[in-house]
Amino acid sequence: MRSTTKNPLLKVVILGDGGVGKSCLMNRFVSNQFDEHSFHTIGVEFLNKDLDIEGQTYTLQIWDTAGQERFKTLRTPFYRGSDICMLTYAIDDKMSFKNLEMWRKEFAYYADLKESNQIPFIVVGNKSDVSSEAREVSQLEMETWCNENSITSCIETSAKSASNVEEAFKMAVQHWLRLESRADINETHVNDTVDLSKKIGDSNRMSCCVGGGAAGDDDTNN
Amino acid sequence: MNQLRKRTDLLGIKLLYKENRISKLLKWNGNRKKSTDSRIQQVDNGFFEKFGSLFREQAEMAQAREQEEQQHVAELAAQIAPKDEEEKEEEPETPPLVTADSEASSSDSESEKDDFQADFLAAAFNIDELYTEMLYVILHNVGCDVAFEVGQTALFSYAQDAFKIPNSKHRQLMDVAEQKEDPELIINVEVIEAKELRAKDANGLSDPFVTLYLASNTSHRYNTSVKTMTLNPIWEEHFALAINDKSVNDTLCLEVWDFDPAETVKEKFGKFFEVKGVKGMSKLVKEIAVTAATGQHENELIGVAKIPLSTIPASGMTMWYTLDKKNKVTRRGVLKVRISFSSGKNNQVAGQEHRHMRRIILLHELEVSKVAPYWWCENFTPQADQLLTQHVAQSGLTQTEVALCSYSVYAGIHQKHPLSFGLFSKLLEKLLKPLQTEIINEEDLKLFWEATRKLLPSCLSIIRKIRKKTTNEKTIMKQVMEVLKILNYIITLGPTDIDLFPSNLYPWITFHGNGPNCDIQGALRDAISKGANDWLNYIIENNTENGGTSISKLQNLIQMIQLIRSDLQKAIEYYDKFFIEHVNFQYAKCLYTFYQARVATLCEPDVREICKNLKTLDNSDYKFGEGFVNEDPTVDPLAEGTSLFELYLAIQRFVTLGQGLCPADYNSFHIRNFHQWFHVGVATWLDIAVYKALQRIEKAVELDPLVHIDSTVKYSSSAVDTLTIFYQVNTFWQQLNWPDVEGCYTFIAKIIDDICQCCVSYAKKMAARVDGLGHIENVYEKKFEVTTEWCLAINNIDYVRETLEPFTRDLGMEDILKKIMELKGPVDEKRCRDTLNTVISNAIDTVRNAIVELLETVVNKMIPSMKRLLIEGAELCDQDSNCIDRLMMYVDENLGTLNTELNEENFNRILEIVWESLSETINELIRNNLENRRPPSFFSNLHKTLILMLGVYKDPSDCNSCDALKRTEQVLRVNALETSDLIHEVHLELADKFDQFTESPYGEISFRSKFDGDTIQIEVINARDLAVMDSSGNSDSFVRIHLLPEHEFANVEKPKTKTHHKTLFPLYDETFTINLTPAQREIENGLVLLSVKDKDLLGYNNQYIGETFIRFRDIPCTSESLSELPQVKKWLGRPTSFDTDALKALESRQGDKQAKEFLKKFKNKITP
Ligand SMILES: Nc1nc2c(ncn2[C@@H]2O[C@H](COP(=O)(O)OP(=O)(O)OP(=O)(O)O)[C@@H](O)[C@H]2O)c(=O)[nH]1
Ligand SMILES: [Mg+2]
Repeated sequence: MRSTTKNPLLKVVILGDGGVGKSCLMNRFVSNQFDEHSFHTIGVEFLNKDLDIEGQTYTLQIWDTAGQERFKTLRTPFYRGSDICMLTYAIDDKMSFKNLEMWRKEFAYYADLKESNQIPFIVVGNKSDVSSEAREVSQLEMETWCNENSITSCIETSAKSASNVEEAFKMAVQHWLRLESRADINETHVNDTVDLSKKIGDSNRMSCCVGGGAAGDDDTNN
Repeated sequence: MNQLRKRTDLLGIKLLYKENRISKLLKWNGNRKKSTDSRIQQVDNGFFEKFGSLFREQAEMAQAREQEEQQHVAELAAQIAPKDEEEKEEEPETPPLVTADSEASSSDSESEKDDFQADFLAAAFNIDELYTEMLYVILHNVGCDVAFEVGQTALFSYAQDAFKIPNSKHRQLMDVAEQKEDPELIINVEVIEAKELRAKDANGLSDPFVTLYLASNTSHRYNTSVKTMTLNPIWEEHFALAINDKSVNDTLCLEVWDFDPAETVKEKFGKFFEVKGVKGMSKLVKEIAVTAATGQHENELIGVAKIPLSTIPASGMTMWYTLDKKNKVTRRGVLKVRISFSSGKNNQVAGQEHRHMRRIILLHELEVSKVAPYWWCENFTPQADQLLTQHVAQSGLTQTEVALCSYSVYAGIHQKHPLSFGLFSKLLEKLLKPLQTEIINEEDLKLFWEATRKLLPSCLSIIRKIRKKTTNEKTIMKQVMEVLKILNYIITLGPTDIDLFPSNLYPWITFHGNGPNCDIQGALRDAISKGANDWLNYIIENNTENGGTSISKLQNLIQMIQLIRSDLQKAIEYYDKFFIEHVNFQYAKCLYTFYQARVATLCEPDVREICKNLKTLDNSDYKFGEGFVNEDPTVDPLAEGTSLFELYLAIQRFVTLGQGLCPADYNSFHIRNFHQWFHVGVATWLDIAVYKALQRIEKAVELDPLVHIDSTVKYSSSAVDTLTIFYQVNTFWQQLNWPDVEGCYTFIAKIIDDICQCCVSYAKKMAARVDGLGHIENVYEKKFEVTTEWCLAINNIDYVRETLEPFTRDLGMEDILKKIMELKGPVDEKRCRDTLNTVISNAIDTVRNAIVELLETVVNKMIPSMKRLLIEGAELCDQDSNCIDRLMMYVDENLGTLNTELNEENFNRILEIVWESLSETINELIRNNLENRRPPSFFSNLHKTLILMLGVYKDPSDCNSCDALKRTEQVLRVNALETSDLIHEVHLELADKFDQFTESPYGEISFRSKFDGDTIQIEVINARDLAVMDSSGNSDSFVRIHLLPEHEFANVEKPKTKTHHKTLFPLYDETFTINLTPAQREIENGLVLLSVKDKDLLGYNNQYIGETFIRFRDIPCTSESLSELPQVKKWLGRPTSFDTDALKALESRQGDKQAKEFLKKFKNKITP
């Protein structure tokens, strides 16, 4: 249970083909467990997890979605209002990688993304523990695809061997921080009068976040 | 006992209180209905209420409502009923030949028309013969009842009218009839069939009929019916020709004619049908009769067969005869006849004759009486009745034969002028037993089935037109009942090898067998479907007018389903029992089976399409007070989604009906998975529900008067309104009644998440609502007062938060989880449960945070006033004691308000925030004022003020969560001390610290000490493990004794031991006695300091090894000698840092010499 301390809230959505290991990633991240015989997710699953980045604690609200086609209409309502979208595939499954495009589009459509520069995507190639013979997608392929789609963050993980899992989520938050700060800069540069409405929108979304200290912190990093 | 009673009393009170609260709430809600509720509804035109009412309807299945609906539907249906029927109803005076069954006649194929024509032509062709026979019957009336019934003259004139015989002809035929004697011998001729007839018409076919007569009497001709458009006609008609003695050498002539080749029968009838009506029919009969009788017709002879009677054996024979024509050698075809002799009139001939007569008379009767269609029920005029009765009697026909004749004749006429169905069912009832038991000859059987075949179209037509709204319902029901009786008789009598439902006549009947179709049940089923289908098509055609927008499309579908439902309702309530009773047929079920398929095919594509294109509603775009930004005005996503939902509910009700109606077939119905069509729409509905909820919440807050609903509760109207709104969302969810469990689970997660959004929104609106309240500004001051409104706002949000959990329970979460357990097993169930629980607790937390935020806002507003009052108190405390009073009053009032209004949890929470903020404020004050070198008295006053405040509202001991305040208080206390006290504070802190040592690098010291009166005795015994101080690994140590605080013992000497050289384990063994004044003895925190030093060779730069403190209060007061007391061992210590409040305070006293010197010494002592 989340305490009543007021950390910034981030809504994270994990997408990807059925069986690429989304639920495993989340469970590894949240409770450091791995289930070899994980069942397909029904609709959605939801968990909270606090994450410390540079002294600031963020509360991640993670929506793990069902990748199977038959759940499409059930998962899409959850896209809207999310801050980060993890596009996930399995490195031993070429098809799941090819489908990233589909997932990206599905998310953009149902999340009602307005500004194209506000892309809260991060690409995660899971099951990095598999033998090199089993690998079907190279790291280079992943990076190329990301470049083509102007996605700046990508990482290979293994929920099984617990490698890079926390890093992936950290990367996601940092990515979000970058976007936020850039958005802030844009706002102020473009038009000062918009500022007010923007603030309203912001506090709307981050209902429990007092002060945008997080975004400010990152400013200095850039 | 007493105690027990007290307990129950208490409980009683509690219960009462609770009840009271609820009932008041209800009452209050009830009272408000008119005012606030309706105003909130106005926001969205009663969106939820509309849904709610649909729900209620569904739940109650209220009959009243159903009836009302039915009436409405009936009206609707009446409006859309085909126009021509109405017209018919308006002009019952002119019974149309083509009846209500207009459709049947238009779709009926030629063959049926031909049947009908044949009958009439046959009658017409033999009209003279028939008339003569009729006259003969009248002349030879039998039975006693004749005289007083109808006079003979009346009968003659009736017959003449009926047969439309001109006077001259009448006289002529009368002569014939009068002379007619009972024949001695009769030759019976059956004209069976012809083959390979020569074509006479342009179309390569002929319309053949046969004329037969005896060569001795060419004027006495008999005619068969005309078979149209065929070269191989089958007649199977019977004729009886009387022969007298002299005609033994006579010849039987059979002429085959082509009927009026200039004008085919079809053409003639075509013309004639334009006239319509029984009248026209009679006219035609007459016309043909004249031409036939005179032989002056335009007909063309095909060929003749002449059979000398002498060639016929007495036992009779059946023969093919070749047709000849004068001067022609080409083949003209062959004719098959059966000929036999008998002494009386052959039964079959009599029957045929009777049928012809009955037909002519009925036509006449119908013409004269102008009886309306479906009405005539064998109510002949007395004349007609008598004529027919006489003919029956005189030709010796049995009752069965008569019934059969009647049945056959009526069925024929019924085709063009419908007669009462009751008539047929009665006839069938009469025929039932004979047909089942008696040996009926094949021809009669065939006659029966032919007639039945003619009767059936109108029967099925009644079934198909069951929805006809123009006739009164009773009539229709009666007709249906009679028709069902008829069908039942036919089923009982069947099957037959006659094709009752030729596919060209019934294109809509789906018959899969081979051979003749006499499957009445099947035909019935198809007729029901066809009728429903036609009706439905009519509705659809007439509904497409109002534009092609998806909303109108949906509305049309909804209306259609409503109409269908009420049609089914009627089927269930009225018709089903008839069908089951009479033909053992499940009418409603059959109808439902048909409708469900149609509804499915009609709705599914539209629904899927509309769902696919539904514009998503983005609630985050929702700006309060403005609605949605960037809203496309052409497509109202709300209206579209709402209509879609209405359709969903309509289909849902329809499906529920089917579940009850056809439990066995239900699983094969396509429509049972209708929800899948709407799948995509659900998300939109949820969005709409949230959107509506947000709108209403906004309105509820706006309308909230911010007063207690009543004295028992501590929240105001918007809290209850918001809760109501949540339950409206719940109602929506219940209505949706989503059948798919996985979907349910996911949607619930979404709803909870959405409701959380609503809660947060409510909290925001509430906060904004009270934000400006409580600010008081006048010439003297500017301050913030906590008002009841603020407290209500907080309570309201809390009230809403409290309801979150029960709300989620009411969504049916447990049920769904149970189903998941059944469907997927415990692992998935647990995952789903965990997810839902996390979402719920998240929602609750988020709202709790919103409350905390609001509490903070309140405190932040209070702080400036408190800060000002604190400063004033610190500055002026000594001169103006009012200051403290004012502060206390402010705090008292505001916290008082909060205390009475807020619940305990929130009050404690806000107190904590107050103390937290207060300690921040004070810390800031301390910092600022230290910088400004305020005297310790300032801090002392501040400290006093704080303690006072805390005393009122806080028990410092249970202040576990606000260490900050404790710390602040401590800092304040320290800063309030005079410098010398502060120094002593440092020593006391060190004493506390050293006491906790369990080891030390500086060594350990042993001593004894005691007070004896005002005298203190200290025995320094030894030390061990002293720190090494010189290069040789040893120390030259001694111990000096100080009494602290220093300024209190200024006159007291500071004795020391001897120096013990080169040892880390010195044995001092010296006792010191110091005399104190009684005041010194009583100093509260007095300390003895044992300071161990290393003696410098030169003696003036002694090195510090370590020290320890003995508290005065730890020293025993005794008269015993020291040696009796136990040794005390203490580890030596050194100060390690400056990090204490007292040292910090000292450091801040920059101008203070005493402080400066102390700090300098102190720094030297710190471990290097
Ligand atoms: N080798 C390997 N296997 C993994 C890893 N992560 C997950 N798996 C396996 O992949 C299978 C599917 O994992 P899930 O987490 O259930 O997949 P999912 O993406 O949540 O699938 P859906 O819920 O259907 O969308 C399981 O059998 C896991 O044991 C990984 O990092 N390495
Ligand atoms: Mg999963």
